[in-house]
Amino acid sequence: MAWYNTVGASSDTVISSRVRLARNLAGYPFASKLDAAGANEIIEKVSAPLEAAGFRKIGFSDISPIMATSYVERHYVSPEFANKDTPRALLLQETGGIAVMVCEEDHLRIQSILPGLALDDAYQNAARVEKRLDEDFDFAYSEQLGYLTHCPTNLGTGMRASVMMFLPALTAGGYMDSLAAQLSKIGLTVRGLFGEGSGAAGCMYQISNQITLGITEEETLKKLKDAVSQISESERKTRASITGEEAERLTDRIRRAEGTLRYAYRMSSAEFMKLFADVRFGIALGIVTDVTYEQLGTLLVEVMPATLTLSSENTPKTETARDRLRAQKIQSILSAQS
Amino acid sequence: MLCEKCKKRTATVFYNENINGKTRSYSLCGECAAKLREKGELQDITSMIGSFADPFSQLHDDFFGGFFGIPARVSEGDEKKCPDCGTTFREIADSGKVGCPTCYTTFGDELSGLIGSVHGTTAHTGRVPFRHRAKQERTEKLKSLKRDLQTAVANEEYEKAATLRDEIRKLENENGKEAV
Repeated sequence: MAWYNTVGASSDTVISSRVRLARNLAGYPFASKLDAAGANEIIEKVSAPLEAAGFRKIGFSDISPIMATSYVERHYVSPEFANKDTPRALLLQETGGIAVMVCEEDHLRIQSILPGLALDDAYQNAARVEKRLDEDFDFAYSEQLGYLTHCPTNLGTGMRASVMMFLPALTAGGYMDSLAAQLSKIGLTVRGLFGEGSGAAGCMYQISNQITLGITEEETLKKLKDAVSQISESERKTRASITGEEAERLTDRIRRAEGTLRYAYRMSSAEFMKLFADVRFGIALGIVTDVTYEQLGTLLVEVMPATLTLSSENTPKTETARDRLRAQKIQSILSAQS
Repeated sequence: MLCEKCKKRTATVFYNENINGKTRSYSLCGECAAKLREKGELQDITSMIGSFADPFSQLHDDFFGGFFGIPARVSEGDEKKCPDCGTTFREIADSGKVGCPTCYTTFGDELSGLIGSVHGTTAHTGRVPFRHRAKQERTEKLKSLKRDLQTAVANEEYEKAATLRDEIRKLENENGKEAV
């Protein structure tokens, strides 16, 4: 089962947790100075032990752009990785949401993504794979600067830990800008759903560490966990403060959202994101009782443009055909498990 | 905002201190922050950062361009190049990325200011690769032995100092051999 159709801890405010470790092999230049032969050599070298450990290898030069985008939608690779034109491969183990991008910005990006608040487990998963590779390969490392990375902003632990939070009440209250400013002061960053530069669709925000040098992996995880638990508390308090006429209007909007999601004939992805946020908010508030977080998690991947297109035997030719397919898909997922 | 210590330079480092639940915020310039760090008055360096909403673009615009004041005209022959990958500092400044692991040694001086500004420190702590673990443990041990040696000398315990010195030499030899 993939990470996105299961449910984890604190799911009223947290969608998923992710940890990635950046590593480079000593003796090779970094990506911008690495030629195709070097890249292929690295891919071959690191694939062997990972495939032996049960990972599936996907050569990104051999797959269609739409298939590549579908891996982005499942959060296994970055948009930059999907769009590159140099040799690169993904090694994937869906259980534990473990994905190793080979020849992205760094030679290795080892990541684990899990549903809900599960930073420690995600770290353990990524660290286990890293340890296995550490036995076979000499990583670029200096005592002073730690793991050496292509970009100096990842030096040190090379670790980026992030939590995807769902914050509809703080968003509606207009608190997100000041929250981002406060987080920035303690070395944490806020980004949109698909990482750097992406908008905050569906009231979802990625909170991650900014600093990787001079702080241990455990300290980074603790700092992020503390911040997430504080943000969750303020989101819950803000939700609880919605009363009277405001609460009635919100209930009306949420019920209409559920109705539209269940019965619309066509649905664009922008409209889906809006309704998704309302219905998810409805589950947290106890207003929506016959849709589950698991169903919504599945939807969040299955109705994204590329994954949706791939799921159909007849590729939709027009945007309206795709919107029709999306509406059908939503209805089948919502009626299948409820 | 001006640095609250020198009240002259612009504050670029923000620091939150939490003592028994009371939070106190400091706004400092890079220089004053570095001084306090040296004195050990800024303990929790990890909670310090500059105002980088987007570390990448900031790193690019402010640090490489502004801080280092890369000379506008350097003829290509004069430029320092990384012996392993041929990258020049100008290339690093343009892309925000180094070319290979050796670039960090080649351009150590040029990069240390940037690294310190982004991370608030230039010293790694945390996971160590399997192959470096034994050496790093010896380095840690050396540091502590050297401290003990200083204390022993100060206390005129010469016999103890001689034993410590032998131990230090042995460890330094082992580390030296491994480097080759």
